[in-house]
Amino acid sequence: MNHKKINKKDLGNLLHQWSKDYTIFVPSNEGDTAQMGLWDGSDTGFLDWYRNTAKPPKANFLPPVEEMFRFQKGKEGHSIKLPSQEHQQLIFGIRPCDGRSLAILDNIFTDAYQDPYYLPRREGAVLVGLGCLKPYDTCFCTSLGISPGESNDVDLMLTDTGDEFLIEEISDKGKQLMELTAGLEDATEDDTARASEAKGKAHDKVTRKIDTQHLSHKLLSTFEDETYWEKVAAKCIACGICTFLCPTCHCFDISDEMVKKEGARFRCWDSCAFPLYTKMPMENPREEKWQRVRQKVCHKFEFYPMAFDVIACTGCGRCIRLCPVNWDICQTLGQLPG
Amino acid sequence: MNSNNKIQQKLRHEAGALLEQNKVDLIIGFEPGSLKFTTTPLITRDKGDLDRLVINPFIVNNLAVFLPDIKGPDLKGPKLKGRVAIVAKGCDGRSIVSLIQDNKVRRDNLVILGIPCPGMIELRKVEKLTGKDRDELDDIIREGDKVVITVDGKASEFPISDVLFDNCLGCEFPTPQDYDILLGEPTAPFAERSAGQARILKGISPQERWEFWRREFRRCIRCYACRNICPSCFCQRCFVEESEPQWLMPVPRWQENLMFQAIRTIHLAGRCSDCGECERSCPVNIPLRSLTREMYDLVDELFHFKAGMAKDAPPLMTHYEQEEAKDLIR
Amino acid sequence: MNTEWEPQLVGFLCKWCSYGGADLAGTSRKKYPPNIRIIKVPCSGRVDPLFILKALQLGFDGVLISGCHPGDCHYQTGNYRARRRVAITKKFLEYMGIEPERIQASWISASEAGKFVEVVTEVTEGLREIGPNRLFDEQQQQNTTEAAA
Repeated sequence: MNHKKINKKDLGNLLHQWSKDYTIFVPSNEGDTAQMGLWDGSDTGFLDWYRNTAKPPKANFLPPVEEMFRFQKGKEGHSIKLPSQEHQQLIFGIRPCDGRSLAILDNIFTDAYQDPYYLPRREGAVLVGLGCLKPYDTCFCTSLGISPGESNDVDLMLTDTGDEFLIEEISDKGKQLMELTAGLEDATEDDTARASEAKGKAHDKVTRKIDTQHLSHKLLSTFEDETYWEKVAAKCIACGICTFLCPTCHCFDISDEMVKKEGARFRCWDSCAFPLYTKMPMENPREEKWQRVRQKVCHKFEFYPMAFDVIACTGCGRCIRLCPVNWDICQTLGQLPG
Repeated sequence: MNSNNKIQQKLRHEAGALLEQNKVDLIIGFEPGSLKFTTTPLITRDKGDLDRLVINPFIVNNLAVFLPDIKGPDLKGPKLKGRVAIVAKGCDGRSIVSLIQDNKVRRDNLVILGIPCPGMIELRKVEKLTGKDRDELDDIIREGDKVVITVDGKASEFPISDVLFDNCLGCEFPTPQDYDILLGEPTAPFAERSAGQARILKGISPQERWEFWRREFRRCIRCYACRNICPSCFCQRCFVEESEPQWLMPVPRWQENLMFQAIRTIHLAGRCSDCGECERSCPVNIPLRSLTREMYDLVDELFHFKAGMAKDAPPLMTHYEQEEAKDLIR
Repeated sequence: MNTEWEPQLVGFLCKWCSYGGADLAGTSRKKYPPNIRIIKVPCSGRVDPLFILKALQLGFDGVLISGCHPGDCHYQTGNYRARRRVAITKKFLEYMGIEPERIQASWISASEAGKFVEVVTEVTEGLREIGPNRLFDEQQQQNTTEAAA
């Protein structure tokens, strides 16, 4: 396959070219918090600091809050207005783990129903991946079949080869985009070789591991072990950081707001860490913190694989990095009895 | 580090003795975290765990947050119950006293292992100072009022005040107000209280202040880490979760986010010991301590009240003086 | 800007005193601005800071909390507690950027119809001066310069 390449200095021009057809999102730092934010049209300074975002790219597809529709109460019942759908976004710099996370999320939003909010955004989006050469000490993607330098879940994949990026076409969408893109050089064999070397090095830098081999079985046999889960959950403060900022967590809540005779229906992120999540009029099946911690772990590593044959974790390490009490999923999995 | 080692030895010894003599059922302290330069809360009833207890400049959590959930020894039901020995720095100690004032914890179920606190190192500051992320640093060693940070094998020295948390810099009471065993000698405040006043918004118009908060709270994702990490936020059911009436929508819009935080901070009046945990735990870096700090100062200015100083004092909001806050009411 | 705009004020009045004061003002045919919407509360101590902020979020331009004079509370100490709560709420919200004029408190007894009229008039005029409450509008206010970060 013939690959292309681009000098890092020309990245601004490339993004500018793409911005004619797409709204461009790049890693941006808003108030010291990295997320995929709107590109300002010139700045490529993120290349200097970007390792991964704190807010995962799922936020671009399943935003923390969105309006599902507006309604108005008139004399002849309710009238409903749907939001306009313009979702031609190009996300630049997505990491392989996050690329995979979107593939994992696709399962849930195409399963029982076709989600009319998530899917159009997904279909309209181009993902430009950027190989991760400096994984964090919290990353364990290689244990989940992801390599920090490679991805099949994006449309184009870029690899840092020093002064240049090697550009690989991964999907048809990526191929089409490349056909419309001018001013790229063909990559030489030397470039490709350097890229593979960088990828290999990055892979070896991920030293944190989990053993997924008998995980499902172990979780099943530990499920009733209240003592274990109580001990594991003791220091958890039941906040929503690890679930909200998890790239594969997808639970949402729906609520209506009505002022006078009009209003809107919203959906927003929800988290199984909150006791309210399962609260019902008569009882709460997950009243205790340890039950909710168990749910989170089992959902990712047991229930999700049962339903979709894939573990709902990409080893991005956000939940470990951002946890205010250093609750470490790898330790919990590593210490499972049985 | 040497004095920390000594304190650590003493802590392990005392904690062991307390468990052995059956004086307490649970120990709450710190153990090394899974990441460099972190610690994590250790909550255990097992004597075998005690040699993991540590004291170092990274024991940031306010462990008092776990106390209201731990039921007294006479209660049936949850496993985490009984008398507790807890490691407490100055601010943590005040949070504990505040919980006692609010009848959330009983003093006679507690053994407080006090730590005279020389201030905690804020990793965000170290990261800013060195331009490196936490996991890229080789070492951070505190030596008195200096800190030596090693990056790529190269050591550089900085004044400790460059890397301590803002609230530690302005800490008034580094030694716990109430303790059973004090591990080490009482320490004096690190600096003037005003030293910790970073990010306090003064000298700008109300509109500009509102604008500042509007922008900050746009980022909030309503994970409630600020609330859940806070020892003073002990409500069984928080007002944001009320549904009849529903005060606030659960959606993370800046209006709701701001209202949530404003009311939360008002609820903390007279309870907040300025431990700064809300700001530290915020995953989107909202300067929450700017609010709690203002509340802390306000309560002091209006009612000469400081949180968690004496366990027998009535809580701020249940008490009054005949004459106060006169000029605020027509 | 908008000539038709009239300040909207919500008043939380204690049923034992200030509410009576308002009633007396009415029966004595004293004139006071119709801008106030009155909510009767059993005691000024009932007023939660949440009520104040919620009223502002719903678009009221100002909030008035009124109860019995110190020492006169029907429940002995309710108004003392209200005083601490209101003082803190007012000062704290001021720090966040809410103009102090928007949150007002007063002591008005059941016999002080005159004072009630006076307070409501003053507060209404104060609100008229600072203009409509746009605090919770989605967009930034026009007269605001870039806030210091």
